[in-house]
Amino acid sequence: MPSLSRREFVRLGTGVVAAPLVLDATPARAAALSAQAIIDRIRQNAGVEWNPNTVDTFKAGDPSIAVTGIVTTSLATIDVLRRASQTGANLIITSGPTFYSRTDSPTPAGRRGAPPPPLDPVFTAKQQFIAERRLVVWRFGDHWRARTPDPFAEGIGDALGWARYRVNGDPRRITIPALTMDALARTVKARLNVRGGIRVIGRRDARVQKVALLPGTHPIQTTLAVLPEVDVIIAGEIREWESSEYARDLVHTGRNKGLILVGRSLSEESGMNLCAGWLKTIVSDVPVRWLPAGDPYWRPSA
Amino acid sequence: MTAGEVVERIRKNIGVPWRDTTYRDTYKSGGPETPVTGIATTMFNSFDAIQRAVAAGLNMILPHETTFWNDRDDVAVVTAEALYREKRAYLAAHNVVIFRMHDHVHDRRPDFTYVGAARELGLDPARETPPGSHRFTISETTLEALAAEVQRRLNIRALRVVGDAKARVSRIQLGVGYATPAANTPDVDVVISGEQQEVDGALDAPEYIADAAALGIPRGWIMLGHNVSEEPGMLEMARWIKSLVPEVPVQFIKSGEPFWAPT
Repeated sequence: MPSLSRREFVRLGTGVVAAPLVLDATPARAAALSAQAIIDRIRQNAGVEWNPNTVDTFKAGDPSIAVTGIVTTSLATIDVLRRASQTGANLIITSGPTFYSRTDSPTPAGRRGAPPPPLDPVFTAKQQFIAERRLVVWRFGDHWRARTPDPFAEGIGDALGWARYRVNGDPRRITIPALTMDALARTVKARLNVRGGIRVIGRRDARVQKVALLPGTHPIQTTLAVLPEVDVIIAGEIREWESSEYARDLVHTGRNKGLILVGRSLSEESGMNLCAGWLKTIVSDVPVRWLPAGDPYWRPSA
Repeated sequence: MTAGEVVERIRKNIGVPWRDTTYRDTYKSGGPETPVTGIATTMFNSFDAIQRAVAAGLNMILPHETTFWNDRDDVAVVTAEALYREKRAYLAAHNVVIFRMHDHVHDRRPDFTYVGAARELGLDPARETPPGSHRFTISETTLEALAAEVQRRLNIRALRVVGDAKARVSRIQLGVGYATPAANTPDVDVVISGEQQEVDGALDAPEYIADAAALGIPRGWIMLGHNVSEEPGMLEMARWIKSLVPEVPVQFIKSGEPFWAPT
């Protein structure tokens, strides 16, 4: 069965097809690719200088495991890991943390000098799930974000259907056909599949056209620099005692401005869809797909 | 009555050591010599809240949060901004004196913001166990019903909830502002608080609670928003200031929830 495709190989499972791998004479398919080999390929092709001081490291699993499929996501929740495993993928590439913090410690972090905190059932279950399914999780946030043009802005712009409205090819700046703030907020909610995470500042009837896309998180300095140049910023999250108060004061003084927040993970979701597309151009050996984690937030129906 | 005399009465009566080095609880407009016609407490010192205070004849404002949209109220961050110059000019034209009351509000026992939040949420102080823990046990309900009750009581437009809507919950840990308790606090079903960084913090609640839900562990996270969570505390503070400064009118001015949500 030398013509067995990698996709069929995944469907059959590793035990059944050990022999075809040996028989396969195509050089590119001669050996199973390890997770480490795929990450090495990403590093070589990312087009950005690799910073040794980065969160982009393995978070769980054995990097030498043969990869059967790759999933990209903005948040490697247990639900995403489960769906990834069901599709036959075992390498999960996430732009966000896996163990609920920047340090990604697989057990709860303690305070310096204090006795270690007790084990946490959620941490433990996630670790076990990853070990049992033999999954490997690697974070790709810092360096994917460092690419030009900004892939997270490009991704959210694509998801909003605004690729053709980019200003001078900059994915962070969009000029759309004028509409009201209310209509814009409803459009954003529908196109990004927001459940309850969306929050808006601005007059509902304000007519807006110039949009800045700032997925992720950004400080007040960025809001101060960007909002005067556009009508509305669509962002992931900000500090509520800083950027949103500046926006509120702008609106109160009659300025035609607005701020739409959709949540940080959701705002970065589409950027990881773009990442899956890019990975396919450098990894043709195994299937690559994007699995959105979805909006974690909801709000009660009034 | 001068602003300096008001601050001195606060300092003498707050009941905790005064922080002389804080960059938060300082004058942001005017100074100790400014004569006071009346005092307003407010949560966020929005332009709107300031104008309503002035319209009510109150020229001393004690906000809990910033005036110039950055935590240090560092004017170097905002000098280039036209809106900064407008806000500044308005404050000068109306002889407004601003003294931020943040750190000392949280140092004080009880902290006005926790008292106010518990009152508005209908959490009975008698059922706070142990006292001062901000932990309350309520009759068992679902996360969905609790969130709906919170939304109704505080009249919030942009409440956000994470967790299984059907999870059965009874043990609440209350937080305020950005002081949101960890989502994995032991023996707690639901954290209710103001605001917290979503990703890359000490314990990212949305991901943690989503995973708990996937595992069938009943946990919830209800974010009121920073303004909504601490605003009732400014009514508490206004009552306290009134008892200290009977010479001038004292009033709580609501800055209100800044957000709305599309349908």
